[in-house]
Amino acid sequence: MTNPIILLRGQEVPNIHQYDVYVQHGGYQGLKKALGMSPDEVINEVKNSGLRGRGGAGFPAGVKWSFIPKNEPVKYVTVNADESETGTFKDRLIMETNPHQLIEGALICAYAIQAKAVYIYLRGEFWDVAHQLDQCIEDARKDGWVGKNIGGGNFSCEVYTHLGAGAYICGEESALLNSLEGKLGQPRVRPPFPAQKGGGLYGEPTVVNNVETIANVPWIMVNGAAEYKKIGTEQSAGTKLYCVSGHVKKPGVYELPFTATFRELLYDICGGPSVEGRNFKALLPSGGSGPIVHLNDQVLDTRMSYEDTAKIGTIIGSASLIVMDDSVDITWVASKVTKFFKHESCGKCTPCREGTYWLDKVIDRILAGEGRPEDVKLIENVAKNMAGITLCALGEFAANPIIHTIKNFPDDFNQHVAKKAETKPVPAKKLAAAGD
Amino acid sequence: MAIINNDKYTQRINWHLSKYPDKRSAVMPLLYIAQEEYGWVSPEGINEVAQLCDMDPTQVKSIAGFYTMYSEKPKGKYWLQVCNDLACALRGADEFHHDLLHHLGIEEGGTTDDGLFTVEHVMCLAACDKAPMLQCNFHFMENLDMAKMKAWIEEKRAELEKENS
Amino acid sequence: MVKIVIDGKDYEVPAGANLVDAAKNAAGNDIPVFCYHPKMEPVGMCRMCIVELGMEEIDRETKQPVLDDKGQPKVRWMPKLQTACTQKVTPGMHVRTATKLVEDARQNVIEFLLTSHPLDCPICDKGGECPLQNLTMAHGPGGSRMVFNDKLKLDKHVPLGDLIYLDEERCIQCARCVRFQDEIVGDDVLAFHERGRSLQIITNSDPGFDTYFSGNTTDICPVGALTTADFRFGARPWELTEVPSICPHDAAGSNISLSTRLDRDAGGKAVIKRVMPRQNEYVNEIWISDKTRFGHHFTRSEDRLLHPMLRRGDTLAPTTWKDVFARVAGDLKAAGSDVAVIAGGAITNEDLWELKQLAAGLGSERLGTWTPTYGGADLVAKVGVGKGTNLKDLGKGDAVLVIASDLEEEVPMWRLRLKQAQDRGAYLVVANARHTRLEDFATQKERNGKPVSGATIRYNVGEAAHVMHELKTRYPEIAEKLAGATNLVIVAGAEGLTLDGSKALMQAAANFLISSGHVGKANNGLMSPLPGANGMGLHYMGFTPENTQHIMANPPKVLIVAQAEPGEDDPTAAAWLSKVETVITLSLFPDKTTHYATYALPIQSFAERDGTFVNGERRVQRFYTAQGPMGEALPAWKIVAGMREALGQAKPKVSAAAVMLEISNKVPAFAGCTYKDLAKVEKQFPDVGGADLYYGGTAYDNKGGLGVQIATSADAGETPAVADVTLPAVPKAKDGELLLLPTTRLYNRSHVFKPSVLVHPRVLLPYVELNEADAHKLGVQPGDVVEIAFGDDTVRVRAGINGTPAGVAVLPRELADKATPFLPTSGTIKKVTEPVLA
Repeated sequence: MTNPIILLRGQEVPNIHQYDVYVQHGGYQGLKKALGMSPDEVINEVKNSGLRGRGGAGFPAGVKWSFIPKNEPVKYVTVNADESETGTFKDRLIMETNPHQLIEGALICAYAIQAKAVYIYLRGEFWDVAHQLDQCIEDARKDGWVGKNIGGGNFSCEVYTHLGAGAYICGEESALLNSLEGKLGQPRVRPPFPAQKGGGLYGEPTVVNNVETIANVPWIMVNGAAEYKKIGTEQSAGTKLYCVSGHVKKPGVYELPFTATFRELLYDICGGPSVEGRNFKALLPSGGSGPIVHLNDQVLDTRMSYEDTAKIGTIIGSASLIVMDDSVDITWVASKVTKFFKHESCGKCTPCREGTYWLDKVIDRILAGEGRPEDVKLIENVAKNMAGITLCALGEFAANPIIHTIKNFPDDFNQHVAKKAETKPVPAKKLAAAGD
Repeated sequence: MAIINNDKYTQRINWHLSKYPDKRSAVMPLLYIAQEEYGWVSPEGINEVAQLCDMDPTQVKSIAGFYTMYSEKPKGKYWLQVCNDLACALRGADEFHHDLLHHLGIEEGGTTDDGLFTVEHVMCLAACDKAPMLQCNFHFMENLDMAKMKAWIEEKRAELEKENS
Repeated sequence: MVKIVIDGKDYEVPAGANLVDAAKNAAGNDIPVFCYHPKMEPVGMCRMCIVELGMEEIDRETKQPVLDDKGQPKVRWMPKLQTACTQKVTPGMHVRTATKLVEDARQNVIEFLLTSHPLDCPICDKGGECPLQNLTMAHGPGGSRMVFNDKLKLDKHVPLGDLIYLDEERCIQCARCVRFQDEIVGDDVLAFHERGRSLQIITNSDPGFDTYFSGNTTDICPVGALTTADFRFGARPWELTEVPSICPHDAAGSNISLSTRLDRDAGGKAVIKRVMPRQNEYVNEIWISDKTRFGHHFTRSEDRLLHPMLRRGDTLAPTTWKDVFARVAGDLKAAGSDVAVIAGGAITNEDLWELKQLAAGLGSERLGTWTPTYGGADLVAKVGVGKGTNLKDLGKGDAVLVIASDLEEEVPMWRLRLKQAQDRGAYLVVANARHTRLEDFATQKERNGKPVSGATIRYNVGEAAHVMHELKTRYPEIAEKLAGATNLVIVAGAEGLTLDGSKALMQAAANFLISSGHVGKANNGLMSPLPGANGMGLHYMGFTPENTQHIMANPPKVLIVAQAEPGEDDPTAAAWLSKVETVITLSLFPDKTTHYATYALPIQSFAERDGTFVNGERRVQRFYTAQGPMGEALPAWKIVAGMREALGQAKPKVSAAAVMLEISNKVPAFAGCTYKDLAKVEKQFPDVGGADLYYGGTAYDNKGGLGVQIATSADAGETPAVADVTLPAVPKAKDGELLLLPTTRLYNRSHVFKPSVLVHPRVLLPYVELNEADAHKLGVQPGDVVEIAFGDDTVRVRAGINGTPAGVAVLPRELADKATPFLPTSGTIKKVTEPVLA
């Protein structure tokens, strides 16, 4: 059976990013169908499909929509296109190659919760993507799919893009809302949650969903929840975009059902290790923030679903697979990821602001061959002290790579502090250039 | 020039201001416009954006400082932001970044004497499968190597020379 | 009330209370905090207040708690620790604050904070009263694991404005200062810049951090990151003696603590090193204005009048007190009853009592106030805000009208608290002839994400009484909202009004309050920004502006000018003061009034003596002697007592306390206002003193007394009646002239403010504000020097163009070093080429 294509339709239909082409291939029929249903029916359809949030947490999308209070006059939909997790580049591909499906999905969501407007928050670096989206919105508007009385009915909704400006933290939903309101992109105290009055955009109840999540919705409307649920595993319905980077022959974004295994993706599709003679060593299945694992047979034969990855002590999250072969020093990986989180910590809460700074200093010392034997324990302890008491998940994300690299690859660290370290693959002078 | 009462921007400014129920939300798009006009987020630009968004200039400065894509100091004509995050580094981005700095004879964050190039490293730009890559004035350049870069740099230098002569 | 369980014990706490506050109040449990502040919205940033939190399981069907084997409610504990500051208490909430998990987390947070905090406590101004120090001692780790030679180095002397310095290394990014400016003051001139470990406080406003409340940020800063230019490196907190006092500058009567030290430079005398807020939740809560904080230097100014002086020809020569008393007694006897007193608003009740006794003994009741501009103090005594009023209690359903006053400049503390009343939901109406700062708030619809309501009224200069009197017909919608409010406070000033106009406005405001039933109860009634700290004391002691008008029109043989500066304030002073045979001045400084004086007598400032003021809310408040006397200056009451003794009227009282005892016996309003009564304190929230761990700031707890609020006659059960309002003639400019509108600036060149050199850059150059059309007609550009002529006098100032009503020129008082009109006056303005400024 060929794999179903729900999101990357550009692979099958050339130029589907153009409005006319999209419409010729069934575009906006999902929205049309939704407009013929009651908002609650739409929410139930999405609930029944088993669609889970693709931003990383995997929260059921329909359930999220159902949290929006019905009696509030103003509500919003915010699409999280702030794709910034290390190793993640799937949403960009959807928006580049299949933008109308995102717009259509966002409007279906807006109809389901009766939102006044949709804001698509793109990371600032998606400058060109945003401009193409703006054009797509205008094209759709011409046929009455955006703006007043959509599809000739009573429902009106605007769709806007908003560019961020380089801040990973704005992918955190409450920081995203702050940023969109023109405030510092720092997370808010919750509750109230975005779906609640007082917690969303401009204090109004708001759905925040990832691009990939929303882009699934038109397909669900057209083909029905039951069809969608047939794809994937029991707890992970549908297809997933897997971003593969690092040491494979063919890195890229691949759409596969959740039933696919790491082996199918990394060997059959990506062609295995990029350098002949080297073997896979480690895998970060969910970007820099998810737990690292040995890329061994057990992992390779695991299905890339929410429930299966949990069984091997990691997560599928945003499905950003960073593959490392046996040339890689995992201490260096920990350093790279820590530098990322140190750079992206918003500074609002103490453990994350100070912890990432501290961790980075100690790991630099370890990598420079000046680590003390107790330094490994120290960073592990500092990371553990951060986890669990930070304001938002970023602190947790920053602690994870340290905790799990040390847990799973202790030898890589110990060899440094035992003064046996080789500085491969990055010489110290280059590290300095890479540091802040 | 200024961005207020400047025909070049009036339409865009009004559009951004119209997108949101609160003017303050337009601060980010308008900061981009200020950066476009002045080449960086200059004090004049900050004050103008503050005026347009009905904000205190302190708050605008705060926003400009939080995000990495607003530059609070002047940059070269080509602002090259090289991703050397983990995924890119696995594909040689650190070496690429280092060699690029070396080739241009500048330090990290520095600008070439001719004012053409500023190079700094940035975190993941969501193009990990096309590393090494960089963002030049917000447009991506992907699957790079130093040979390609050297040719491109020569091209830009030649353009500058042509302009000057 | 709801039941919650803290560390296994049950407590009843108010529903919806903040958990940190509830734990403190109900259980005496100091949950440590850095970013949380009970006066501001919680932000959950520092993570210090982390606790274990659980909820009782509720059976969905029976709605009853599920019980365990032992019959105790089953508690579902949250998997992660939670910040207490972001929790509102709910029934069945369980909290653990003393477990190993919590203690470890607290220790970890402290350890994180200390990784980049410098160890410069020995030279830090906050050392000794620093929450970070205290909490480190209580909860911190014993040693450091952050062993690096290159600890974070940042700028240690960043001026955020003229008054406040930031030490970036010490800052722990709690955002208290940012939030104070944003939430409490409403001037968001502070913000964070950069992010992560680079996060720093900045200002990018022009001018910088320049609000009237900036000093409060140094109090609430939980570390030594923010310091005042006044106190930086001035002294160590533990060397200081805290003396309870009252701000002498305005009608708020802010409670302050004078931090004093025996100082070598002052010849071993105690001197004020700094002024700190002293908590009085009724009056100023824990805040003070920058004028209150930085305006104390006059007390030790070298320009003070130091010796009793006697006129000998054209000059004043020093003499002895004994000589003065004898001579004055002679002059007074000779004058018979043709004696009058004019007293300023900053004088104490004790002084006023002695002056009143002196005049009475001579058969005179000619007691006047200076300046004679504010009428209606009698109405404040009748229908002023009811006993027990706390502006902090105003909120949803309530309303505030501020009319004919620029409160930001006149009584900044009231402006701060009324703006917050609006934040809490009160309807704020600002009525004036021109734009004022408070008007900005009244026009806002939303603040900090919450809706606020308000309205503004603009009228022609001088028409405030007309507007107030006819509010129901002119502004029916606003009048209806005000009349229908649960609680209503009207603050009526005198800007743009003659004395008759001011009286009419006060009566019209009183009438409105009476007819809408907003009198005789707490949080309802009339307030007036009477000039000085004791405007209401003047009233209760029988001093009136009408008397002053009479004195000016009919100069007496002997005039005692007590802590008043007609020579400085009144362009016409020469005309009437020169007609007085004997002028006796009691003053802090030699000034333009002393030109006319036969006797220029030095008085002690509030800092050198004991005394009482009655604030605009009629709260009698006591201050204590803080620093050593200057020269031979005496408290004014003692000087007057000396005169009375020489006259054979009475023996001097031994102390200010004894004077007050007599007042409390003789003046009904002051019954129950002995010094002992005034020194009474009660437990206040937030608890700013005490353990200090919980609140972590340096406002001082109140040990000097909360004062006693005088009841209004309405409070006392007297039914106030609506009285006729005589609408006065509206002041008009003569043909071809402009109407000069005197206004108040908080920072000015008055004698009591000039010596505070720190604030000099903030005192505006003398200026006049013109309407654009008028300026055009006069050929005046902004920045031009103009000469303003009024009566026989002229003054040169710089012109500004700023939306002033047509035909009106705003001419602030006390900026130029010569008198400008204190009542609306017709005048001419012309541009002059040579830029000579007064």
